[in-house]
Amino acid sequence: MTAKRGLITDSFKVVKKTRRGGKKEKSPTPPPSEAEAEDEAQTVREEELQKLKQFDLDWRFGPCTGISRLQRWERAKCHGVNPPDEIKDLLLQKHTDPQYSLSLWSEYPF
Amino acid sequence: MFSDLSAQKEGSSVLCRPAFEDQGPVFERETLCYSLCSERYGVGERSFSRQYAHIYAARLMHMRPLLSERAQQKWGSGVLIKKLCDLETGQECCIVGTLFKRMDLQPSILREISEEHNLLPQPARAKYISDADELILEDELQRIKLEGKIDRDKCVTGSVVAIYGAEKNDGKFTVEDFCMADLPPQTPRPALGSDRFVLLASGLGLGNSHADSMLGLQLLVDMVTGQLGDTGEQSGAATISRVLLAGNLLSHSTQDKDASTKAKYLTKKTQAGSVEAIRLLDELLLQLVASVPVDVMPGQYDPTNYTLPQQPLHRCMFPLSSVYPTLQLASNPYEANIDGVRFLGSSGQNVCDIQRYSTMDSHLEILEETLRLRHLAPTAPDTLGCYPFYQKDPFILEECPHVYFSGSAPAFDSKLIKGPDGQEVLLVTIPEFSSTQTACLVNLSTLQCEPVCFSAFSADEDEESEMNVSH
Repeated sequence: MTAKRGLITDSFKVVKKTRRGGKKEKSPTPPPSEAEAEDEAQTVREEELQKLKQFDLDWRFGPCTGISRLQRWERAKCHGVNPPDEIKDLLLQKHTDPQYSLSLWSEYPF
Repeated sequence: MFSDLSAQKEGSSVLCRPAFEDQGPVFERETLCYSLCSERYGVGERSFSRQYAHIYAARLMHMRPLLSERAQQKWGSGVLIKKLCDLETGQECCIVGTLFKRMDLQPSILREISEEHNLLPQPARAKYISDADELILEDELQRIKLEGKIDRDKCVTGSVVAIYGAEKNDGKFTVEDFCMADLPPQTPRPALGSDRFVLLASGLGLGNSHADSMLGLQLLVDMVTGQLGDTGEQSGAATISRVLLAGNLLSHSTQDKDASTKAKYLTKKTQAGSVEAIRLLDELLLQLVASVPVDVMPGQYDPTNYTLPQQPLHRCMFPLSSVYPTLQLASNPYEANIDGVRFLGSSGQNVCDIQRYSTMDSHLEILEETLRLRHLAPTAPDTLGCYPFYQKDPFILEECPHVYFSGSAPAFDSKLIKGPDGQEVLLVTIPEFSSTQTACLVNLSTLQCEPVCFSAFSADEDEESEMNVSH
């Protein structure tokens, strides 16, 4: 969710500022307190999540609901569809983070 | 064949005077090297939260390269193999995809519970096909209606095929030809020196209210354990080196649903019908396993899980026979290597389901069709219960069996078919024992098969089949 909000504020900065005039105190407080490095980590994370999202949306590797990203990657590998190795490295690195390991639709009830 | 071995010889009938020695000759039963290869039919984690889309995706991913190869063999290496999304109107090409048959009569839970229609529950039918059925081909992204030279009523949902033809202006695909994956590669069968037999039986139907089949069943057990006939027949029985019971050991009537609908205080003291039937089965197995290795597969009415693959019956149900190492509780589908001869088969649910959703009636014909489709149960998970696999579809045949069987058939039938690469497969439909009193014997060295009837009072007065083992 945080990733999405970041994207929206990027593109709709002006609109948001004028609209939420009353809450001006609240919204600007977090950004200044955060350091540059944290900001950078955030963009790296966003980029990685974006890659994983693209992996989820690639239909060649089959449906992505109900299984973890790594399971999906391994299925594609064993059927010889050549999923990118970069994705597997990423998933193995961050396997504890559910935002990385679970698919895009994992929060939807089925 | 077995009948020659056990045929009564002149002057040595049971009615002759017993020999002077108290101890008759001892026939050593042949032992075979045996390995069960059913690991792929095990269900590990039992998670039912996934959707079935994964099975279809895995099936198509697995079959696509195989079918592309077949298509190139059949229509030349230059054949254009396309995805549905790249299809252009009027262009002749080949498409690999999963068939889906839209059937009006197919039972649908959604239709039954839709209150708007206020419909009556759909009646159970013998066949769910109608003239309004439509055949649709699906690949990963799209689907297209099919017409032309493809037999709509013979095809079933879930089979992966390659079709050749062109899309017409009305958006339908006109099929000119189609091909199936055909038989998988086969490891050659070793040459066996002597005749050895495996006895296949199915549908014992224990716990049935009318116990007509009990005499036949006891005769079967006595025949296998060598307690029937003279020395010739006994030596014949010694060549039966394994017994395979292919499902439906218990009768349908043991699945009494009364207990779940009645009040608890009324049914408190009644015992489920399956308890007595399992005890009977245990005693029967005890007689068998003391003498011969036995494989026991569960079937539709047996106390194990309903969805395919059915897991082996639990050994604690057989306190008497499970102490013997010769009792092998196997899964359904069953796959094993018996003396280099590969057996594969099911208890018959897959075949019965295809029978309901296509015009094919003969179990043998359906069996051959599934082998050509290279898929044990194409209608799973559509109309046949199936565990939601995601990694791979275990019902795809990766190695061609030598003996391919299905249980609970209405009658015995067998056929030897040859594949395009010289594969040889014996197809056997094992008849339901409770109604036909027939088991069958497969000769491992020649791959011949013959029925053995134990009917005491047969309806068709066959001279041979009276009161004894007939062939």
